Amino acid sequence: MTTYKRVSGDAVEYEVFARKTRVEPLRQVGSVVAPDDDLAVAYARATYDEERWIEMAIVRKDDIIELWQPGEP
Amino acid sequence: MSISDLVLSIADNKQMLGLRYAEWATRAPSLEADIAAAAMGLDDLGHSRVLYGCLEPLGSDPRGPERETDAGSLRSLPYFDEPWTEWPQFVAANAILDTAFTLVIEACVNGSIEVLQHRLRKMLMEERYHFLHGRSWLKSGIDTKPLEEAWQEAIEWFGPPDGETAKLHGDGSLSMGPSELRAALEARLESKAPSVRIDWRAWDPVRRRGRAGSIDSSTFEMLRGLEEKKFAVPAPTS
Repeated sequence: MTTYKRVSGDAVEYEVFARKTRVEPLRQVGSVVAPDDDLAVAYARATYDEERWIEMAIVRKDDIIELWQPGEP
Repeated sequence: MSISDLVLSIADNKQMLGLRYAEWATRAPSLEADIAAAAMGLDDLGHSRVLYGCLEPLGSDPRGPERETDAGSLRSLPYFDEPWTEWPQFVAANAILDTAFTLVIEACVNGSIEVLQHRLRKMLMEERYHFLHGRSWLKSGIDTKPLEEAWQEAIEWFGPPDGETAKLHGDGSLSMGPSELRAALEARLESKAPSVRIDWRAWDPVRRRGRAGSIDSSTFEMLRGLEEKKFAVPAPTS
């Protein structure tokens, strides 16, 4: 029997953003782990589609450029 | 065979696909894949309900009373006869059979029958995520046996090159016939179908499958609601 890793390939973390109305900004609603963008899209939709979002987007966590973090000056 | 027979076949197959997906909601290789299996299962069960609802407006409902007692009267493919025991079976169904069903739905949406044009369109949006899921897992590499089975059954399900599906394409009811559907499936999956041998004389045009058989008795009882009845609270006796 073939065994499978929890996530096939190299796991990448994605942050999931969504909003319910045009006037509100996108906000982070969660995250998913997936080996590629396609699967991350499918996982984000499956996991966070319970509410009536008008927009949903995902961003690879590695692609976020941080200016500073908590505790830093 | 009419367009109603084809719609019933899509409905029965989507119902079984949804049930088989749902069986993996706690067994997939990752938590995310568990959730996706559950979500896709719900999608396909919902799609089957919409498709069953199209039968009446189409003018002829091919469902008879035998569906209550004879599992062999349901029109699902052999691939769904038994619960899947291996994850690659899930992936092959997700990537190949789910996409094959989507392509026939596309052919209905782009065909000339108004009720199908309108009611089935939303399914295509949801199916986009099923396709991304299946294609990505397919790229991760799985055993060839379930892939070959799925390809074989998809091509059988499209029907013979000169059969009723081709006629429905010819009269405009469907925007694609069997050869166009096969080419579209290959294009979408970016791979050629393996060599398949089909004996169209042994093919069942009603169930659209090449071999006899039916879904397992436990699943059939669940579909009929008998499994739930086992746990029903008995009515008080007066």
